[in-house]
Amino acid sequence: MSTTTAVITCPITVPYTRFSDNGAHWFAARALSVMLQAARLEKTAIDGLCFSSFTLAPDTAVGLTQHLGLSLRWLDHIPMGGAAGIVALRRAVRAVEAGDANIVACVGADTNSPDAFETTLGNFSRFTQDAVWPYGAGGPNASFALLTSYYMREYGATREDFGKLCVSQRQNALSFPSALFRKPLTLEQYLSARPIADPLHLFDCVMPCAGAEGFLVMSEQHASDFGLKSARVLSTCERHNAFPDDPIQMRGGWVLDRDELFARAGVTTDRIDLLQTYDDYPVISVLQMEDLGFCGKGEGPLFIREQTFTNDGTFPHNSSGGQLSCGQAGAAGGFLGLTDAVRQLTGTALGQPVAGAKVALVSGFGMINYDRGLCCGATILAGA
Amino acid sequence: MTAAAAAGRFELQQCRKCGAVQYPPREACVRCLAVELEWTLQPAGGRMIAETTLHHSHLPQTQLPIRIGLVQLHSGPVALAYVGKAVPPAPADVRITVKLDEQGYAVLVAQ
Repeated sequence: MSTTTAVITCPITVPYTRFSDNGAHWFAARALSVMLQAARLEKTAIDGLCFSSFTLAPDTAVGLTQHLGLSLRWLDHIPMGGAAGIVALRRAVRAVEAGDANIVACVGADTNSPDAFETTLGNFSRFTQDAVWPYGAGGPNASFALLTSYYMREYGATREDFGKLCVSQRQNALSFPSALFRKPLTLEQYLSARPIADPLHLFDCVMPCAGAEGFLVMSEQHASDFGLKSARVLSTCERHNAFPDDPIQMRGGWVLDRDELFARAGVTTDRIDLLQTYDDYPVISVLQMEDLGFCGKGEGPLFIREQTFTNDGTFPHNSSGGQLSCGQAGAAGGFLGLTDAVRQLTGTALGQPVAGAKVALVSGFGMINYDRGLCCGATILAGA
Repeated sequence: MTAAAAAGRFELQQCRKCGAVQYPPREACVRCLAVELEWTLQPAGGRMIAETTLHHSHLPQTQLPIRIGLVQLHSGPVALAYVGKAVPPAPADVRITVKLDEQGYAVLVAQ
């Protein structure tokens, strides 16, 4: 039992709602409270916090410490959207292993008032203000429509290919208690849904909502002393603004880091029992499957046709139903794959278990600053 | 860009030190970090590499449907642009014009 090796434990979800009148602070408080209850720890036991949110303004994580009465010796605020969970884990593991903190709470929390999404979009980045907003696109739908149309043309993917991922995820969501979409989805319904931004239709697009996800990072020894089930963090990576000269994003930073990610973890792709991709749109899940090495570039369509992606399938993927079924609770969306992977690896799945899951790869992707997502990250986790 | 757009000129930021042309506008050169930038007239040619037609917008005043494309400009950068009806499906060669939209933003139109 190592006193220095950090583990991930106490994955929690604050149930999602489409809209909320509560602030991000409320969701952060709920996350911490539920997490402490799960860990059977007092608030004072937490001496590190790694926080992510789009809707905490005008506060930052600093203001949150006073708002929630946390006294900390280590604090980080990760503004990386869909990559925030992975990066939070990465930083927290290093903080614990370096002795800078004993118990780090990692939380992604966001609210969603009826006009909050538009406000977030309008203020998202200088580039979105200057170069996207005027076009009435103003949101990720258009960016991902462009990527999807290019990918389909270049690599021969069909709407049925993307539909298979969406339908499989919905199947996984049927047994996942906090998914906002728990009605079965057929491929026919997927194909005949109303168009949003060609070639994207309704079920290709994530739905913004309010909610929170979180987990604790502590030494393996602490987790054992507290009697907490935990997963080991075999390796992590992050990469920002990779391949800036590619005219359109057909690959992410994972390409540069995957060899080291797997080498450090001491496993190969065939050892991965569960893949959790960041899935606000299915095309980006396909890019992650390719860029993380599960198939070659452009082989995504064939890979999708050969595999099945439900929790009892040949390639279990997004065990909670992913954001496409659970909703996108802002920065918490970047934590969803992690929390459910830890549950799956520790025998505490909320929905249908992935039988015999021992090793999971969780990937994050965030921040469409202008025409592409800038932040990529991934981690390989293992059960006890 | 807005002032030039009002006069119908397609200008982009260019670095006085290294000559790089960039879009969207920045406060420094994306290639060499120099802050000596100027607006220069740019060739109108480009290639639309991907396109979409929006059937939904977060802006209530947007007239739908609306066709937009990602255009690789001959001057280097990639830009989002409105796409005219006469442009064939992507990939397609286009010419960029610039104008002010109803809110006074400079917008690019591929034709």
